[in-house]
Amino acid sequence: MASKKNRTFDYKDVEDLQVYMTAQGKIHPATRTGLSGREQRRLKRAIKYARLMSLISYVS
Amino acid sequence: MTEHKHIYQAMFLLDNEEVRKGFNAAKDWIQSSLEKHGLEVKVLRLWGERQLAYPIGGRKRATYLLGWLEGSGDMVNEVKRELYLIGPAFRCLFLQEDEIPEEELVHGIQKMEDSELIIPEEIQEPDFEEPYEEPEEEQAATDEPKEEKSEKSEKTEEVKTDG
Repeated sequence: MASKKNRTFDYKDVEDLQVYMTAQGKIHPATRTGLSGREQRRLKRAIKYARLMSLISYVS
Repeated sequence: MTEHKHIYQAMFLLDNEEVRKGFNAAKDWIQSSLEKHGLEVKVLRLWGERQLAYPIGGRKRATYLLGWLEGSGDMVNEVKRELYLIGPAFRCLFLQEDEIPEEELVHGIQKMEDSELIIPEEIQEPDFEEPYEEPEEEQAATDEPKEEKSEKSEKTEEVKTDG
């Protein structure tokens, strides 16, 4: 799933974030996303900000 | 003590009821509130009007306002405290950033006419489920044995009185 190296995530880019989430709304593990530890943490933070601003639901 | 200034990206969720009264009024209120607490507003623009992923306080749609600010953490805390108590915004997010992107700086403080922003009406749906009513046939079936029981009890009473 990961294509770029040392990539960043924007919480406003909902479509990009949803690629890394299950249909239920869970975040895929790093083993599946193929992101590094730092990138996975960036992803986690971006998804949580998006959930806070009601751009992504917590559960679906 | 010197205050360290940082750049912040801010997102505000505006109540559509307030935005219908006038987008510029709501935006100006946010801007004046930020400036009152010493924050320098570099960019403040409409990000979009969209449906919420989950309802917040009965609201199903909201208007998103995006801003880029410069100020200290204490100023941001004071603004947050005020915004959650009064004003058109019901949720806000402040994120510290390294710099303002050039494509954002182009927008500046957006000025648009209120008629340009069209906000669809929310469809009111009942929050509660309708109470379950048993079908009439089943009710009738349940009533019959009760009557029988009452008849039986009358008979026993009669027997008792005879004795």
